[in-house]
Amino acid sequence: MIEYLLLAFGEVVMIFGALGIIRFPDVYTRLHAATKCDTGGAMTILLALALYIDASVFIKLKLLVLTFLIALINPMISHAIAKGAYKYGIKPEVVVDMYAWDNP
Amino acid sequence: MSRIPFYLKERLEEVQKRVLYESYEAQKLPVWERITLTWIVLFSFWIVITANTSLDNLIIGGIATLIIASFMRDMLMEDVRHKGHLIEKIIYFLLLYAPQYLIIMAFRLIESNIKVAKNVIFMDIKPGIMKIRTDLHSDTGVTILANSITLTPGTLTLDVSKKLGETYLYVHWIYVETLNREKAGEKIKGDIEEWLKKIFW
Amino acid sequence: MVEENLLVTPFGWGVLVLIFTSILLTYRVLFGPTLADRIVGLNTITTKMVIMIAILSVISKQYFLIDLAVVLLMVNAVGGLILSKYLERRGKR
Repeated sequence: MIEYLLLAFGEVVMIFGALGIIRFPDVYTRLHAATKCDTGGAMTILLALALYIDASVFIKLKLLVLTFLIALINPMISHAIAKGAYKYGIKPEVVVDMYAWDNP
Repeated sequence: MSRIPFYLKERLEEVQKRVLYESYEAQKLPVWERITLTWIVLFSFWIVITANTSLDNLIIGGIATLIIASFMRDMLMEDVRHKGHLIEKIIYFLLLYAPQYLIIMAFRLIESNIKVAKNVIFMDIKPGIMKIRTDLHSDTGVTILANSITLTPGTLTLDVSKKLGETYLYVHWIYVETLNREKAGEKIKGDIEEWLKKIFW
Repeated sequence: MVEENLLVTPFGWGVLVLIFTSILLTYRVLFGPTLADRIVGLNTITTKMVIMIAILSVISKQYFLIDLAVVLLMVNAVGGLILSKYLERRGKR
């Protein structure tokens, strides 16, 4: 029963992440939606799969390794894209920009 | 500005850098502990990926991961603090530190998902880029701190700048609550930095 | 025994929802104002693809496909890093 609840939570989070990528105004806020909702939804869905599956222990461990790799890799890529977009010349719409003070 | 303060400043920076390097070298793990820890991590990964517990597979995996661990010992385990015996360290990590971190991050992740959903519906954003200071110095520690900051609600790490002895993080904050650096640092980092300072240098 | 109909379990419906979100994200890939927007959309779609492969391999009981999901995730990491490095270099010119 609990795996279906986790699956539903993950799907709802994924839908909100996609809506956030469409609705937010600039790249950095879009990256917020992409990273958080994608990582959270993916981890909950893979946990639900690991609870649902009836196979040997190694298959469950393999799904848990996939969860760990997603949690490790996804924020790293978002950090790289944010830095690259700033260096590319996309100005963020912000209240205070302390990064531009130090790197003119 | 005359010439002498510049010269003194350079000299002071050099001395400070050397002191930092010496204290860093003194706190490193010895070589065989680094090799053993890397070997444990790689061997468990081998067993999980191959999904096969026959004897010849274990022997092949053990030898191959031992060779790789003796080459790669500085990449994974260079930044771990030197404290206590090896077995004591492993038991502490598996029973105390890792579950604590997982519980903290799980609740933070759920909270951040709900917060992003709220932001998508109401569009109440006021973004800003803040500069905060951390006490961590090693590469692994700063990487894990930046990843954790990205997964906590409302923040995204942009860049890291390392001046001597001090590390600064640039954080894109989706709703700026305060402009004070100290308060912002406390709000953004939370108790993750306290946890990371126990393990990483 | 491989099941004929995928929509027997709720995970099959989950795959349909993931495909729907990918179609929503295709808007951002096609009409993104800047290059960085397209990269964000592509990375998100690839992560959803990894999860689709994992779910389908569990439903159809072909467990070796989970290894393929791990490999696709790592390719996604390398691709994202190289594209962001390209953005950084191109801005300097």
